[in-house]
Amino acid sequence: MSQAALELKGVHKSFGRTPIINGVDLAIAQGERHAIIGPNGAGKSTLFNLISARFPVTSGQVLLNGQDITGLEAHEINRKGLSRSFQITNIFPRLSVYENLRCALLWSLGYRYSFWQRVGGLKDVRARTEEIVDKIGLSRRRERPAGMLSYAEQRALEIGITIAGGADVILLDEPTAGMSHSETRDAVELIRTVTQGKTLVMVEHDMGVVFGLADRISVLVYGRVLASGTPEEIRGNPAVREAYLGTEAD
Amino acid sequence: MSSSLLSRLATWAVTALVMILLPLFFKQGFALSMLSQMGIAIIFALSYNMLLGQTGLLSFGHAVYYGLGAFICAHALNAIGAGRFHLPVTLLPLVGGVAGLFFGIIFGYVTTRRSGTPFAMISLGIAEMVAACALMFPGFFGGEGGIATNRQLGQPWHGLSYGPQTQVYYLIAGWCFLCMIAMFALTQTPLGRMANAVRDNPERAKFVGYNPTRVRYLVLCLSSFFAGIAGSLGTINYEIVTAENVGVVASGNVLIMAFVGGVGHFFGPVIGAVLVSFLQSALSSYTQGWLLYFGLFFVFMVLFAPGGIASLLTVHVPAARAGLFPRLVPSYLLSAVALAVPLAGGIALVEMTYHLETQSELGKGLKLFGLNVDPSHPTVWIVSAIVLAAGVGLFLLSLLPLKAAWQSVNAELQARGPA
Repeated sequence: MSQAALELKGVHKSFGRTPIINGVDLAIAQGERHAIIGPNGAGKSTLFNLISARFPVTSGQVLLNGQDITGLEAHEINRKGLSRSFQITNIFPRLSVYENLRCALLWSLGYRYSFWQRVGGLKDVRARTEEIVDKIGLSRRRERPAGMLSYAEQRALEIGITIAGGADVILLDEPTAGMSHSETRDAVELIRTVTQGKTLVMVEHDMGVVFGLADRISVLVYGRVLASGTPEEIRGNPAVREAYLGTEAD
Repeated sequence: MSSSLLSRLATWAVTALVMILLPLFFKQGFALSMLSQMGIAIIFALSYNMLLGQTGLLSFGHAVYYGLGAFICAHALNAIGAGRFHLPVTLLPLVGGVAGLFFGIIFGYVTTRRSGTPFAMISLGIAEMVAACALMFPGFFGGEGGIATNRQLGQPWHGLSYGPQTQVYYLIAGWCFLCMIAMFALTQTPLGRMANAVRDNPERAKFVGYNPTRVRYLVLCLSSFFAGIAGSLGTINYEIVTAENVGVVASGNVLIMAFVGGVGHFFGPVIGAVLVSFLQSALSSYTQGWLLYFGLFFVFMVLFAPGGIASLLTVHVPAARAGLFPRLVPSYLLSAVALAVPLAGGIALVEMTYHLETQSELGKGLKLFGLNVDPSHPTVWIVSAIVLAAGVGLFLLSLLPLKAAWQSVNAELQARGPA
């Protein structure tokens, strides 16, 4: 049996005495594109924050490629090959687009805290940064401060920062939120290309995006996984229809 | 790419040339010691900006590293004089640098665990603590009198005795140049870039694999090294170090230098250091009220030019590149003239107040702008107040044509499209 890229075992999270995540078990296979859907307040973003160690879990275990990462710091988890984007754009606003991406991949290329090398002279860094700039389609904006980009451009940069380090497991939190139809189409194409051969987990509200991209879908309701399966299985699941899709379709 | 490298090299070459040639034009002792003071201030202010401008750390205690470097250097110099330690005075700043680094490693470990307001508060606490230690350990800090030393204690090295101020100036200028290059080079390294990233968004830095605490800590250690170098140059220049050098006032002073110059640009603090050092030594010899003027100047900078002088200069770069700057000159001149009016009124009021409060018993008449003034007479007060009030109005009016000139320049720049 092949090992899951990401596995959650009995994950709980409470804020004060309010439980938000009530025992989530989830296994995501290598190379799978997995979408997490659910009504507002179901705890989807919280789940991402637990996996990526933005918040500590109250109880339960998170495994990355079979390795227990519960309790590690966010930067340690990132170094193990898990990278995430944010629902609210989270970039380096005063740095240029190019600089944003370069900062996002320095660690992965092994430059750590070096203060004895000139960053402009690092050929591998330059090649990789140029590649990402092209991939996310921001070549014409590369010198512009990230804070001055349009919303859709910032979302593309957000994805660029997330994938720049070459992580195997990518978490995208509502990558197309607030986008127009054409922007969403572009974003889906972008996500498809940049996550080729990687494991993708995403939270998404746009059902078109979810059913177009995902190999498997999990439905999160009140901090529990209500159902998990292929898009067809989820579509045909009466409990899901009742709890989520039905109300959404009205 | 190569052209930008070339222009950078040219900038450094010109800087070096200016530093070498300056003493030829300013031969008087006063000017030379002011230039020396500026060199020290430049290193200190740039090291401060590694924290504030580049890493987003507002420190109220950076003088701790300057001052402790200065004290250690004074002791080292005295040890050299006593024959217990051997090092040419030329290399003595390294001792101060290492001392600064050492204390940066210790104190920084505590302060950089937090950023933002907690960092500012802890740095203030450490500054107070070290200042308190200065009175508790008179053996090391020399009590109220400080530690005196003599830069000629060392053996002359390649003919350098550091007796003449010119030699001291060139020592400071040499170290200043080296430190400027080193600190600029640091901004171009992975750590330097990640410092900017941590300044902008520490949380995001975590999610690209960096520990923001570690980034802050390393930057603080490196900046303490340069602060220590500045401190030991201070020791060599003034031949005395006192507890004031580690205190909160000295820490505030370097903050003002960096801020006035502009923390958003590498060279901003250089401008600030030069200007503030100049004001401190030149203005203080003209008027008792210099601290008040200095404070007001700082307040106006924070309110109206938070990017500092550097950003005031750089906003003109696009216009200058497009050859449109001459269009702004007449309205700038007009505003400058208009500004002189309220300044004159304000200065008159301040000077008369100081005169009445502190010097009236001397019976000396007050000389203002070449006129003999009698501050005990109400007329001059009324006139000054009117000049101030009318001047402010005049100045505000003069901003209208300036605004119009800027609008026309911006419109033209826009019409020509992005460069």
